Amino acid sequence: MKISSMHKKVAVLAASALAALAFASAPTAAHAAPACDGKVPVTSCIGATSDGAPYSMMVPANFNGTVYLYSHGYRYNVDIPAAIPLIGGYKITNTPQPGPNASVIGYLLGKGYAVMGSGFARQGWNADSGVATDVELINTFKTQFTKTDHVIAWGESLGGFITQGLAEKLGTQLSAAAPLCMASSTVEAELKMAGDFLWGLKTFFDPSIKAGNYSAGAAGYGEAMADLGKVFTVMGKLQAGIGKELVTGAPSWPDTTPAAVKTMLGSVPSRSALLLIGLMAGLPAQSAHFDGTTGPGSPNSSSYTGFALLGSPALAILENGTNAAALAILATLDVEQQSGGAIFDNTKTDYSAQVESEASTYSAALSGATATGGMLAYLAAAPRATATPAAVTKMRSLLQWTGKISVPEVTMVGVSDPITPAGDSTYLANQYAAQYAAQIKANLKNHLPRGSSNLISIYGLTPTHYTTFDATGSPVTSTPAANGTNHCNFSTTQYKTVADLLAYASANGKHLSGGKLLTAVRKMGGSTVDLKFQAALPKYYSQD
Amino acid sequence: MFVQRRTKGGIFAAVVAAAALVVSAIPAHAETGVTSSTIKLGVTLPLTGAAAPGYNKIPAAMKAYFDYVNANGGVNGRQIKLIVKDDAYSPSQTLSVTNDLILKDKVFALVGTLGTANNEATTRLVNSQGVPRLFVNTGFSGFADMKKYPTTFPLFPSYATEAKIMGKYLADNFAGHKVALIYQDDDFGMDALKGFNTAGTTFVAKIPYAALSQADPSVIGKWVTSIVASGADTVVMFGVTSATGALAGGLYKAGLIGKVQLILGSVGSDGTTLKGLLGPLAPALAGSIAASFLPSPSDATDEYITQFKAINTQYNPGAVFDNNILVGMNTAMLTVQALRAAGASPTRASLIKAIETKGSTWASAAFSPILYSAKSHVGYTGYWFGKLGLDGNAVSVDGAGKYTLYTTDSGSAPVVKAAAARPAMPAKGLPKN
Repeated sequence: MKISSMHKKVAVLAASALAALAFASAPTAAHAAPACDGKVPVTSCIGATSDGAPYSMMVPANFNGTVYLYSHGYRYNVDIPAAIPLIGGYKITNTPQPGPNASVIGYLLGKGYAVMGSGFARQGWNADSGVATDVELINTFKTQFTKTDHVIAWGESLGGFITQGLAEKLGTQLSAAAPLCMASSTVEAELKMAGDFLWGLKTFFDPSIKAGNYSAGAAGYGEAMADLGKVFTVMGKLQAGIGKELVTGAPSWPDTTPAAVKTMLGSVPSRSALLLIGLMAGLPAQSAHFDGTTGPGSPNSSSYTGFALLGSPALAILENGTNAAALAILATLDVEQQSGGAIFDNTKTDYSAQVESEASTYSAALSGATATGGMLAYLAAAPRATATPAAVTKMRSLLQWTGKISVPEVTMVGVSDPITPAGDSTYLANQYAAQYAAQIKANLKNHLPRGSSNLISIYGLTPTHYTTFDATGSPVTSTPAANGTNHCNFSTTQYKTVADLLAYASANGKHLSGGKLLTAVRKMGGSTVDLKFQAALPKYYSQD
Repeated sequence: MFVQRRTKGGIFAAVVAAAALVVSAIPAHAETGVTSSTIKLGVTLPLTGAAAPGYNKIPAAMKAYFDYVNANGGVNGRQIKLIVKDDAYSPSQTLSVTNDLILKDKVFALVGTLGTANNEATTRLVNSQGVPRLFVNTGFSGFADMKKYPTTFPLFPSYATEAKIMGKYLADNFAGHKVALIYQDDDFGMDALKGFNTAGTTFVAKIPYAALSQADPSVIGKWVTSIVASGADTVVMFGVTSATGALAGGLYKAGLIGKVQLILGSVGSDGTTLKGLLGPLAPALAGSIAASFLPSPSDATDEYITQFKAINTQYNPGAVFDNNILVGMNTAMLTVQALRAAGASPTRASLIKAIETKGSTWASAAFSPILYSAKSHVGYTGYWFGKLGLDGNAVSVDGAGKYTLYTTDSGSAPVVKAAAARPAMPAKGLPKN
């Protein structure tokens, strides 16, 4: 059989096998050997780890000894009532996921690689248990498939965090790793952006939003669901208000805005207030459909420039914030319940400092320095959120990654990812840079070769223009998200390129380099692998 | 408070150390953007959009001068290639196209990038890549902060400097007048406010406006209302050219032309741009006083003007010679001197060092010295005042070709009058430094 036809057949099988897995009732008995179907050309196995995490393994007949272990991202750990907009009807799921998508899985199987992944034992923020599950899964796979000689770990979002945690735990027991669109090094860092944004929404637009400090048990669940409804509602009002503001020029704030805000900031458009809280939280000012550069009509018209400079950044925050809000509320609820109390504390946060550079760049959209100063003054005087010390202590005992890298790693993230900012990957690179510098120094001292870098950092860049408009001049938001935007928004080609880079590194003990690396990244499209590229660090890291 | 937290300085130091030590996976080369036959430079500025009028003439002027130099052997045998990117004055677009210039086009340096917020937007990228950013087209005094912007070289006198000088001019020539100030409400205008405060200038009204809000007629109406309510007989305009045009239109509608003396900052006073914006209303601005640091484009006695005009005629045919052309050519000529001084095998480091060590001696059209040194990235420091004629060009208040220069710094130094002085134009406009 030719490779190409083999590849296609395997891809189809992978897709159908994945579909079947979604409905499979995985065994829940503790730590049994996997149940394998023995089919060719791909054997599929399912089972559960000792902590009850269902998993799946897919092994091609021509298995070459290398397996890709995939860790999926954050899944809500509560059901969402159908009445909640956008995400209503969600049910907790622990369906195992052995790769990013069927096409990538088929691609790897077609090349003789095995794939595996679990659905984890619990959902929500599960880094500690996720790493334990992955460790056990590796051992189970090696026991079942004794030909295994290389394990490559990869994962996305929280799965990227878990992948990094796993890489730091196992070191050279892995042969390569790829934490993709990885979450921040601590849950505290990850949730700061969410906390700042929710607190800003509450303070400016709807003080009835609780934004954390949820009650224990069912009452807290109810409060969080209520918050979801309120946040989506106020986002809808903001969307309508911004639309009016861009047409009339007159401020249009949600009716839930506190009277004190209207008194102090009533002459400032709500779009500027929304943009300010997005920027101070660290949300990107470019989103799936709003580029900050394009307006309706002729590029030389005032409507074009006005929309691009004044409206688009706020609408980008609205789009990014809406996507992030659900996760912000539900992850806060989850981690609070794990930690036993309120975890977000902004009593000492200097929001003026947090938005200093952005305030200059987006001055026009923020309605000028005077308006910005007024908004920041209001925020400075507004009541703050206080965390429960014991809960913070417990939260900080959860798994953290440090940036230690022992085997070749690849990171990839869009520069405008609104959930796991690109700066998280930059932070990893910075942490590794210090480690690598020390390693070089030690090598030179011992008269050894300097050694090559173990880290390739890939950043997905946004196109210069991608906002489109319909015949009436309204922005179109139904098109696919632009490259470099949205959360973990990668093309299959980009996934495959990362997989190929990992395969090379796994086989050779070092990264592809030079022109071949540049060519590979260029062909994947919309990305840079420039060594010195630095994304903005999340506010957790960048504040003094 | 947080165990993982690092200071900005700590991160920056780590990155610098890593950049110095890391063995790149990327192929080695002599220097980014430099080959044996070419040097690649990049510029961002508005070619489209509301802010484009006037500024969109600058890149053609820069190219014209580079073409002229290229036709005469280039710089150390290398041809200069300028890549121009339109940012429509949008900081987001500036960042995007600068990503292209640095990461894809692999330019050696950025030259003449325009706009305060726009340059702010790309600072992280520029700093992390160590890209020289030469002769930025903004007067924000903050860009002279060498710690924050280590590879950036402002050229224009700062807005704070300009405001201090304008404050002195007002005190000397408009004592007893009621003066109102209109200013762009961002770092541009804040810099000016700082300067006016230092100068002790008092205004009967301070009228801030958010950038681009001048396109809203209701905003202009509010300006006029505030001017009238304050009883001002003199209005200082510290905004971009389109804001000056909008103000002139508002004053005309209110019947205030000729009743209010306008004093224009250098950013918003280009005559030909105002003519384009105002059309038949343009003569209404005649008599307005404008600050400038370059000679008047209409000064036929100035050796820089005559040489640049000749180059413009040959290499940029059809383009009316004005302040924008002058700025473009002057920036390009300084760039050529910087590249020459960077050596036969220029690197980004040698380019920066050359400007710091020799930049203060180079020929340029402005009348004030350039203060570049290893400890200073401050460019020009002086202004003269002219009066706009019916043709839109400013003629020195002291008479054509007679320039009284006022100089100071962005801080607390006094404003002093000085004789205009500068190095001679190199023969045929071709530097030999």
